[in-house]
Amino acid sequence: MTAPVLETQDLIKNYVIGGEMVHAVNGVSLRIDQGEFVAIMGASGSGKSTFMNMIGCLDVPTSGTLKLDGIDTRTLNSDELAEIRNRKIGFVFQQFNLLARTSALDNVAVPLIYAGVRPAERRERARARLDAMGLGNRLLNTPAKLSGGQQQRVAIARALVTNPLILLADEPTGALDTQTSLDIMGIFQKLNDEGITLVVVTHEPDIAEYAARRIVFRDGKVIEDAAVTSRRRAEVA
Amino acid sequence: MTDILNTLAGWGVNVAIAFTALRTNLMRSILTTLGVMIGVFSVILAVAVGNGAQVSVTQQIATLGSNMAIVVPEPERPNGPPRPGDRGRLTERDGEAIARQVPGVLAVAPQLRTSVQLVTGGRSANTQAVGSTEAFASISNLGTSDGRFLTKSDIGSAARVVVIGQTVADKLFVDGNPVGEKVRINRVPFTVIGLLESKGSNLGNDNDDQIVVPITTLRQRLSTATTQGPDDVTLLFVGFEDEETLVAGDREIKDLLRARYRVSKGKITPFTVRTTKEIAETSGQVTQIFQAVLVAIASISLLVGGIGIMNIMLVSVTERTREIGLRMALGAKRSDIRNQFLVEAAVLCIIGGAIGLLLAMVAAAIFQQVADFPAPIGLDTALMAIAFSAVIGLVFGGYPAIRASRLSPIEALRSE
Repeated sequence: MTAPVLETQDLIKNYVIGGEMVHAVNGVSLRIDQGEFVAIMGASGSGKSTFMNMIGCLDVPTSGTLKLDGIDTRTLNSDELAEIRNRKIGFVFQQFNLLARTSALDNVAVPLIYAGVRPAERRERARARLDAMGLGNRLLNTPAKLSGGQQQRVAIARALVTNPLILLADEPTGALDTQTSLDIMGIFQKLNDEGITLVVVTHEPDIAEYAARRIVFRDGKVIEDAAVTSRRRAEVA
Repeated sequence: MTDILNTLAGWGVNVAIAFTALRTNLMRSILTTLGVMIGVFSVILAVAVGNGAQVSVTQQIATLGSNMAIVVPEPERPNGPPRPGDRGRLTERDGEAIARQVPGVLAVAPQLRTSVQLVTGGRSANTQAVGSTEAFASISNLGTSDGRFLTKSDIGSAARVVVIGQTVADKLFVDGNPVGEKVRINRVPFTVIGLLESKGSNLGNDNDDQIVVPITTLRQRLSTATTQGPDDVTLLFVGFEDEETLVAGDREIKDLLRARYRVSKGKITPFTVRTTKEIAETSGQVTQIFQAVLVAIASISLLVGGIGIMNIMLVSVTERTREIGLRMALGAKRSDIRNQFLVEAAVLCIIGGAIGLLLAMVAAAIFQQVADFPAPIGLDTALMAIAFSAVIGLVFGGYPAIRASRLSPIEALRSE
C-alpha cells in the first residue's frame, strides 16, 4: 500500500453569504494516495472548487481534519501554509494566471524565488522544466506572445518547478479548444506515468475519462467515488 | 553569510518586480513621483537658502567689526524692550576711561546720533547723522570708497565736513561725484569729503543710509536732543584686540561704569554692553528659526507628495489583487508580499527624491549666479534627501503594503 498524500476526515466548509449559511463542503472524508490521477467532477456549486481550495491550503476548513503528506494543516499558521503551498503543491488554473509582461522563464521561476533558491539555479531549473514541456525555444516569450496551450504548459512547468508532492489543476482545459485540451490531458497522463500525483477539477465528463479515478460532488458531499472504467489515453504530440 | 546573500537577492527581486510594475503604468508613476520630487526639491532648497542666510549673516556681522563692544546707557532688562525713562547717561569721558583702564581696548569711538535733513541743488534726503571721531572707521571696519574719512583735526576744529553713505549719495547726487560738493544739513552748510564704502543691508536695515560728521560739529550745530551734559553721547563703540579680551572686556566695562556712576551692589546696571560675539549668536539663532520655518513650510509639500504615494499604492494593490493571490498560491508569505509593495513605494520615492535633489542643485546654482545669494547644498543634505525620500516611501507605502499582505489567498485569487 502506498502512503496517503492527502487524507480528509469529515471536512466541512461553511460560508455566510447575504446572512444565509451555505454548506459548501459538508462532511467529506477521502484519501488520495501517491501516484493517483483523480478527477473531481460536479456541477457548479457542488463544492468541488471549495474542496480543491482547501486541499490546496488556499482556504481553511470550518471543521474536520485535513492531512497533507501526514501534516495536519489545520494547526499551521499563514507562513507555514505558504511554505506548504510552495513546496508540496503545484497549482494549475483555468486562466493560466501567468504574470503579464514577464517572460516564460521568469514566470516559471517565481515559486523558486519564494523557496529562497538563488538566481542562477532558479534560471537553470526553470529552463529545464520548460524544455521538458517542449517550450525550450520560447523561454523569453511573454504570455501575450504564447498560444493558450503554450501558456498552460508554462503554467504546468511553473507548478512542477519546486518538485511538489501533488499537482492540483482547477478546470485546466476550461479555456482551451478540444485538441489543446487533449494535449494538456496527455501531458498530465505522462506526468502521472512518471509518478506524479494529480487532482484535476473539471465539469466535462470526457476530460474526466483521462483520469484513473473519478470523484463526483453534489451539494457539498461525495456521491460517487470509483475507478474510471473506460479510461482514455491521449497521445502526446 | 548565505542568509544575507539570499536576503539581498530577495530584495533585488523585489526591485526588479517594482521596476516592471512602475514601467507598466509609466504615466501614473511619473505623476506620482512628481509629488515627491517637488516635495524634496522644496525641502532641499529651503535648507540651502537657510544655510545661505546663515553664511551671509556671518559675513554681514564681520562687516560690523570683528571684536567690538557697543555700550548703551540703557539698563539691562532681560525681559521686554527698554522704557523711555530708562535712559541713563554716557559721556565721552566714560569712553576715555574705558580706553585707559580696560585691558585689550584698541580704541573707543563715541557716537551721538540725530535725524537730519540734507539739501543740495533742489534735492533733499532725510537720514541718520552719526557724530563720531576718526576712531569710528577702524573700529567698525568702515572705509571710504571715495574721498577720505574724518581726521583728528576735523574733530578738534569741529569742521563742517561730512562723509555720506551710498544711499544718501544716490538720492542727492544723481550724476557726478559727491566728493567736494556742498550740502546743507539742517540748513548748516557742509562739505562732502568722502563716500562710505557700501555695506549693503542686513535684515532689512540699510547700512548705507547714514552720514558721518565730527561729533563736535554735530553737538554744536545739529543736535536737537536735550542732553544732560555737554559731552553726553548716544553710545560708545569699543574696539578690542581679540575675542579673548572682548569677552573679558564685557564684564570690565560694566564694572568700570558701575564704579564711575557709584551704582551700589544689587542695583540694576544702568548700562548695556553688547558685543559683536553676542550679536552674531543672536543673529545665528534668528536665521536658524528662519530656516526652520522655511523647512516646515516646504515639508508640507513633501507630506502631500507622500499622500500621493499612498494613494497610488492603494490603487496598485487593488488592481493587482489577483497577482497577489497568485503569488500567495505559489508560496509567497505575507512578508514577501508586504516587502514587494514597500520596495515599490520606496523606489518611486527614491527616484523622485533624486530628481528633486538634482533640480534643487540646479536652482541653487542659478540662485547663486543671478541673485548672488549663497545656497550651499552639502553632501550631508544630499544624503539626507535620499534617505528621507526612502523613509517617506516606507511610511506612506506601509499601509497599502500591509493591506496587500493581509489579503486572503483565495479571495485575492478569485478577484477580477
